[in-house]
Amino acid sequence: MAETAPFLRFTNVVAGYGGGDVLKGVQFDVPQGGVTCIVGPNGSGKSTLLKTVSGLVKPRLGEIWFKGENLVGQTPRQILRLGVVQVPQHHSLFREMTVDENVELGAFLVKDRKVIAERMAAIREMFPIVAERASDKAGSLSGGQQRLVEFARCLMLEPDLVVLDEPSMGLDPKTLRSMFATIKMMNSMGRTVLLVEQNARQALKLSHTGIVLENGRVRLSGSGIDVLNNPEIGALYLGGSIEETKHAS
Amino acid sequence: MNAIALLNAAKDGILTGSVYALMATGLTLIFGVMDIINVAQGILVILGAYLSYALSVHLGIDLFVGLLITIPTLFVVGVVIERVFMARLKGPEKTAMSILVTYAVSLLIEGTLNTVFSVNVVQLQASYVTRSFSIGGVHFGFIYVAGFVMAAVLLSALYFMLYRTRFGVSVRASLADQTSAALVGIDVRRVSTICFGIGVAVTAAGGMIYGSTNAFNASTSYDLISRLLTIIVLGGMGSLGGAMLAGVSMVFIGDVVGTVWSPVWSTMSYFVVLVVVLLVRPQGLFGKQSARVA
Repeated sequence: MAETAPFLRFTNVVAGYGGGDVLKGVQFDVPQGGVTCIVGPNGSGKSTLLKTVSGLVKPRLGEIWFKGENLVGQTPRQILRLGVVQVPQHHSLFREMTVDENVELGAFLVKDRKVIAERMAAIREMFPIVAERASDKAGSLSGGQQRLVEFARCLMLEPDLVVLDEPSMGLDPKTLRSMFATIKMMNSMGRTVLLVEQNARQALKLSHTGIVLENGRVRLSGSGIDVLNNPEIGALYLGGSIEETKHAS
Repeated sequence: MNAIALLNAAKDGILTGSVYALMATGLTLIFGVMDIINVAQGILVILGAYLSYALSVHLGIDLFVGLLITIPTLFVVGVVIERVFMARLKGPEKTAMSILVTYAVSLLIEGTLNTVFSVNVVQLQASYVTRSFSIGGVHFGFIYVAGFVMAAVLLSALYFMLYRTRFGVSVRASLADQTSAALVGIDVRRVSTICFGIGVAVTAAGGMIYGSTNAFNASTSYDLISRLLTIIVLGGMGSLGGAMLAGVSMVFIGDVVGTVWSPVWSTMSYFVVLVVVLLVRPQGLFGKQSARVA
């Protein structure tokens, strides 16, 4: 019987930066259509793992299969063409360019001006900040606004997989809620989301799948709620046990 | 000293400074996109001058017509240097290593030029090189005006390319953040190679004007590169507008001070301005303080 190709599959991925391996044989699947959240302590290899997906870091060993294509060895440009976009951890807007220019750059690989114009119109409706601040330089936006514009930009390619690296970093609580709501919206539009997040409780609550990474290996995987409610993981990675949290509330 | 003398000095500063601005723009473009300090830029200007010299003396090709050959030739030279030497530089030491590597490239070209053309100084000759005209008592050397016009045209073309073309968008994005540029699908590798080619190609035009207004040999490159580096430091490393302003300012300030006080203070005056600016703005006039930290 022929097996259906997994949406995204990591097979024994080993990768690092030259000073030793950060990922030491990572292996798991990301189901299509859901939100998968990777949590783990600092230095566990979460961001490195996402960089292997977008082609910024080339694994030393192993394979990363996306809809039947091995991403290992492909350039970020080739990976984008396959429908995988990444919003990196640091603010990645081009500060001296306008919000409009930044969002339009999300469709850099699209040649048809008409298609770009249609997508821009749709994005402006979805993200009012893009329409309101269209002519402003991206550097003049607040951290939260920049993050929303980055989300808007990543949707310009109409990707199948959106990879988000700690999107909540440096955001205030109000903006944080809006950011998580946007992730939900992206997912409801049919985008599969692969997310690394320090704000693990909130992220796991909205995730269909949770992955715990430790020392470059998958320590635990399951549904987002299962991972969230695992007392050992709660104590180790989520700033105290889940039981304690329940008693406190 | 009178007003006419001052006007002449200001005019010389602007006309000659624009050619320095053109040469420095190439240098800062390369640094901005690639984090490479190309100390071979000085000898590449001299190579451009020698190419114009060879075409003029041996084939009788006019200096300006010869640019149709020398500009593409130096573009190819730039692409080859980038592919053979620069593409191999990676990691946090890339910028420091680039100084050593481009210095080695510089020595290689210098040795070749000394072998081919000897160490005797030469100057580009054409009927219009010594021709001049006068407006209201202010004298204009034809070659200086032509150099200014050419620099203005090439810099305008560069600006058009940067702000009105798709390739320009990818250059500006790469100038700002290479990782983010790669993540939206820009081929940063290709952009780097073409920018290095463009950065070197402008030395053909600069070299032709420089060689028409100065006697030169391969060793002249050391004076040139020190001037070009100070221009991009004053303007702000990686800033194209800064390189233009600083290039014109350098010659303008030197010429005006030389006329008002004494030629003895001419060169020093620019460095005084440089030091004062760097004390107030260590990143230069238009540089970004933390642009290269990440």
